Amino acid sequence: MNALEISQITFSYNSAVKSAGGETEYALRDFSMSVESGGIHALLGPNGAGKTTLMRLITGQLRGYQGNIHVYGNKNDDKDALTCIGYAPQPISVYTSLTARENLRIFGIMAGLSETLVKERSNAVLVETGLLPYAQKRVTTYSGGMLRRLNLAVALLHSPRLLLLDEPTVGVDPQSRNHIYETLTKMNASGMAIVLCTHIMDEAQRMCSKVTMLDRGAVIFSGDMNKIDNLEKFFLERTGRGLRDD
Amino acid sequence: MTLRKLKELIRKEILVLLRDRQTIPILFIMPVALIFFLSLALQGVYTEKITGQKISIVIETAGRSPKSSLLEKKISAHQLIQRVERPKGFDNNRLFESGKAHAVIYIPDGFENGIKPVEMEFDPVLDAGYKAAVRSLLTSVTASVVMGIDDIEAMTSSFIVEKTKKNKSLPGPLQQSVPGWSIFAMFFIAVPMSIGFLREKNDGTLQRLFTYPVGANLIILGKLIPYYLINLIQFALMLCVGVWIMPLVIKIPYTLGANPWHLVPVTIVVASASTGFGVVIAALARSPEQSSALASTGAVLMAAFGGIMVPHAVMPLVMKKLAMISPMYWAHQAYLDVFLRDAEFNSVLPKLAVLTIFALVCFYVAGRKVKWM
Repeated sequence: MNALEISQITFSYNSAVKSAGGETEYALRDFSMSVESGGIHALLGPNGAGKTTLMRLITGQLRGYQGNIHVYGNKNDDKDALTCIGYAPQPISVYTSLTARENLRIFGIMAGLSETLVKERSNAVLVETGLLPYAQKRVTTYSGGMLRRLNLAVALLHSPRLLLLDEPTVGVDPQSRNHIYETLTKMNASGMAIVLCTHIMDEAQRMCSKVTMLDRGAVIFSGDMNKIDNLEKFFLERTGRGLRDD
Repeated sequence: MTLRKLKELIRKEILVLLRDRQTIPILFIMPVALIFFLSLALQGVYTEKITGQKISIVIETAGRSPKSSLLEKKISAHQLIQRVERPKGFDNNRLFESGKAHAVIYIPDGFENGIKPVEMEFDPVLDAGYKAAVRSLLTSVTASVVMGIDDIEAMTSSFIVEKTKKNKSLPGPLQQSVPGWSIFAMFFIAVPMSIGFLREKNDGTLQRLFTYPVGANLIILGKLIPYYLINLIQFALMLCVGVWIMPLVIKIPYTLGANPWHLVPVTIVVASASTGFGVVIAALARSPEQSSALASTGAVLMAAFGGIMVPHAVMPLVMKKLAMISPMYWAHQAYLDVFLRDAEFNSVLPKLAVLTIFALVCFYVAGRKVKWM
């Protein structure tokens, strides 16, 4: 069974335009992707390609799409599917006036963990992400790298089987980035499937075994990473060198 | 598990609020300050309207006749008059400007013979009603002295009788300001509430919560309940200030009326209405700055219309009718039913019904406007 099975997803934000008879702009059109259980899959695309939209569809934040999304055989908005998914969004989504431990407690209980498990897992992820010495400090005091690691820690807290990462190392120093890579490698080694959305090509090439590229909501390439010599060059050839400001 | 998640969401919200050093003081210190300063500022207005204010008058007499003395004595003894002495070197203008007296009465020698009339001069800014009262008093007392009638009021009592009912429309200073500014503070909670909602949306923490197996309604409830509880605490605190502290300052007692237990359902419903106002602002606004402007402007306008800043009883008729569009009007009237009118619960119920409908409409509109989720 695949960790993630996306089949023929079509989604548009401007359904109001559609219903008024205007031309529909699709964020994703006939998009399909499979992520193997235990695999690390890169999801690449220029700005506005639809990567974050896809993440939000998988995690149930967006509705009203056509097609199917299954997580370990369960429909993505099913409770069983939601407990399988760990999501680290691109904006650092933690409560800055709380401490790291308080943040982990909230999200742990939302994930359905017991009191004991929340404490155990909080300690474990804080150790994994190198944040244990700062666990009682308020998040407002954290550096950019620490915030990214906490963002990841929240996603890892409930031991998800599928981890979705949207730009996990953006704005982060090399030390923190390296720490994150090591954590992800360790998690993957224990069987966690990972979908990695990133603009950092060498990060993707180093870590991922499979890659899907999308542009303007559609798949432009899907295949094995080891068949690509230079990922950045390959990506630019497929998507063009022009700016994507529209 | 659902209850556990709700408890945790409430706990999180309370923690975030407690660590916001600006919001909590505003929610509690602002209404106390408003009650304190506005009760002090308006106590004279209310005292005049309800109990009547004594007019300070300088009475001077040049006459030595028994009738001159009698007239002087009768004017001085009247309940409306407070006799004061003219300070040395003060002419009438200086007397009025300094506020030491509002009127001067001069009784000349031989006034009873019509040689010279009794003179009265008023402070030009004295209320017209008081001028008329003093003129009328002087006329009747002078007539009784000149005609030799001992007690003119006793003489006419069989022709005139007063049947004024107990005041149930104009509140005292504390009856107006304690519930009034408490209601304002409760509705003002829409500011931090809506800012908090939108900040969570902008930060992404709200969306992150939705990626967990927890219902949207539970998340919203977890955000509403702490603010609702704060509303209840606000009112309780303001009531304590009104009952125990303010009477020591302005020397006017504050009673809870004949049915104080009515305060419980009234406060529960008013808190629901104010929380509903907060959540609808959060749903309609697109940014924390916009929600702050909408919430604060809305609260001030509702207070202005609703008889919080100016008592409803003294508003012109058209404003009295317009006041009914403000939920604060209904809330304030419900509290006045308890404090001022000793009303039965049947009389309070229609006001609570209006507030409940307002709350339900707010929650419905907010629920429909799910964009902010």
